[in-house]
Amino acid sequence: MIILFVALPLVVAGILPLVGKVSRRVVPDLLANAALLFLLVYAAITGRHLIAGGPVLQQLSWFGEPVAIRLALDGFSLFMLLAIAVVGLAACLFSIDYMEHYGAKANYYALFLVMVAGMNGLVLATDLFSVYLFMEVAAVASYALVAFGLGQDELEAAFKYLMLSVVATAFILVSVAVIFGMTGSLDFAGVAKALQEINAGAAVGVASAFFLVGFGLKAALIPFHAWLPDAHPSAPAPISAVLSGLLIKVSGIYAMTRIFLNVFGLTPALSTVLMSLGTLSMVVAAFLALGQKDMKRMLAYSSISQVGYIVLGIGIGTPLGIAGGLFHLFNHALAKGLLFLTSGSVQQSTGTRNLDEMGGLAKRMPITAATNLVGALSIVGIPPLNGFWSKLIIIIALIQAGHPVFALIAVLTSVLTLWYFLLMQRKAFFGKLNEKWAAVKEAPFWMTAATVLLALLCVGIGILFSSTVTTWIQPAADVLADGVHAVIGSWGF
Amino acid sequence: MIVQTALLIGLVLFSVLAILLRDLLKSAISLAAASLLLGIIFFRMNAPYAGVFEISVVAGLITVLFILTIALTKAGDEVRESRAANWVFPLFFIAFIIIDALVMKGLLRKIPALASGAETGTFGDVLWKGRTFDLVGQIAVILAGVFAVLALFRKRDKHD
Amino acid sequence: MTNTWYFYLFFAAALVFAGILGLLLRRNLIKLFIAIEVIAKGISLLLLGTGFVKDNILVAQTLVVTFIVVEVSLVATALALIINIYRQTKSLDVRKLARLKG
Repeated sequence: MIILFVALPLVVAGILPLVGKVSRRVVPDLLANAALLFLLVYAAITGRHLIAGGPVLQQLSWFGEPVAIRLALDGFSLFMLLAIAVVGLAACLFSIDYMEHYGAKANYYALFLVMVAGMNGLVLATDLFSVYLFMEVAAVASYALVAFGLGQDELEAAFKYLMLSVVATAFILVSVAVIFGMTGSLDFAGVAKALQEINAGAAVGVASAFFLVGFGLKAALIPFHAWLPDAHPSAPAPISAVLSGLLIKVSGIYAMTRIFLNVFGLTPALSTVLMSLGTLSMVVAAFLALGQKDMKRMLAYSSISQVGYIVLGIGIGTPLGIAGGLFHLFNHALAKGLLFLTSGSVQQSTGTRNLDEMGGLAKRMPITAATNLVGALSIVGIPPLNGFWSKLIIIIALIQAGHPVFALIAVLTSVLTLWYFLLMQRKAFFGKLNEKWAAVKEAPFWMTAATVLLALLCVGIGILFSSTVTTWIQPAADVLADGVHAVIGSWGF
Repeated sequence: MIVQTALLIGLVLFSVLAILLRDLLKSAISLAAASLLLGIIFFRMNAPYAGVFEISVVAGLITVLFILTIALTKAGDEVRESRAANWVFPLFFIAFIIIDALVMKGLLRKIPALASGAETGTFGDVLWKGRTFDLVGQIAVILAGVFAVLALFRKRDKHD
Repeated sequence: MTNTWYFYLFFAAALVFAGILGLLLRRNLIKLFIAIEVIAKGISLLLLGTGFVKDNILVAQTLVVTFIVVEVSLVATALALIINIYRQTKSLDVRKLARLKG
């Protein structure tokens, strides 16, 4: 019952406000986390069984009549569902303690679950318009979640985010309309097949360009990134973790990758454009991250930079490159989620996000410092953490595909990444303990538990990287490397 | 075709007016007029359901929401718009219209399209049986909107 | 594509462009949102026009209806944000919101 991925969070979200009237904290906490735990278990365990025999296409029927809810679960979608469930669960656990002083917890969890439902729906959709629709579901929920604290900065960030998102929607829908006009269908299989029959190079090129602008805005690729450095820091920490770790990847990268690789087919021109945009994001954002004083803003720019790596890897188009890109997507979701959560711990204990005001926090908050270090090293790409392997695969793929210059740039950017993360570590955690923080305590239980969970995953996946790659990443990469055939052959309903 | 063209020109005119007018209330009413025209255009394209939705929801509900917001933010009239916008907008817009027309003329017959099969069923069939997942999405987005408004208007006793 | 499609595309493009231009040039938050509404009109016109030309008017109508529902949710959320911003800053000027550097 794949529909559970969408239906369960929605149903729980629906009853949460009612439950919240009765019990303000315990039951909402329990319900929300249980829902996400269920999703995680379902994706991790049953999911693999389901797709063992090839993609699962479900057409539901209600009361005997087939109803057009057509969901497709293949390697790529299952991979994304797993990522959503893991980071979502960690952020939700973190919220148990962190959201205490925001109030209205039941409402918060309801929005959170709707956002998760939207992301899951996007990943499972088989239709261009449904992709747009569930993208909007997650987006509307995220606007409210960014502004949840109701402070001036948060409201401003949410409004700017909203405005740019609307422009993204416009571009995406124009492209969908043109594709609909040309092919007469909206579902992936139909469009892919039709595009093979028509010879529509230029029009598909324009449609691709519009999709690139739209989904690029959602993924915060440079030059479409302006909203992210304001939105991600202003949101409450667990929401920043989900936005940076999941939403930009699901709404932006997943949608773009699915459409470009499985529906349009990756042409050399498209590959070059993707690689160039990826490299641009990778480098520019790394430079911009260097000058940041606000901890979360530095992390936000780092997200833009790492998304550049992912797009670069996927843009190469070779199976190894795609695998590297996807692996980095997963690793970054874990590591950046972890980093934002620890920044939330720091913010709650010290009341500030300004790196210059911190210092020596490792002495008072050892667990937070340790997990933050794990996350940082993972993103930089230090062995044996997970980030090392994914970056290595991307660099090897670049060299194999004959792009040594790109590989060199990727390596140099890693050095930059190391620099700014070391800066953050030194300023916040190591060094002399700033007088102000002498009485600071370690973060409450659920917050540390969530960060430890993610840190352990980073280390574990780093050590067990080859089995992770073969079990989860390879099936996903295979689906994408198959290109248009993956969709035409097996998805024809 | 003539009527349709006239309606479309009216639509664009009222929309541009809605953006350019200084008084917020007049803007909202201009937008409502544009929605009304769009609804009529939909009717003439044999799309009665879309027309009804456009008129009742966009011209009706959304206009009411706008007027509500305008009423709740009374001092908003004092925002001084940039003077430059008064001539920049028409200039760029007319330039675009010209480019638009030329591009359209150039594109005529250039974009290939597959002939599509005839449509079967009624609107209800297509919506409920043909695009059911979209209905799930609609429920989700309505939930998102409701929760968003509840969250944004909650009583603040203490916040971050 | 038949000529009628380009006819509708012309007007839809004009609307979307007007809306984007409005987003760039206007300063009042509510005006910015009116610009967003104009973009939405352009999109619904394009979707329905495409369906009309392809003889797929029913599918196009479902798309437009769903799009309008999404639009309502969006408007509600955005106006809630605007009202909150007004309560905090007593102004609707987007320039006053320039505290974050983007």
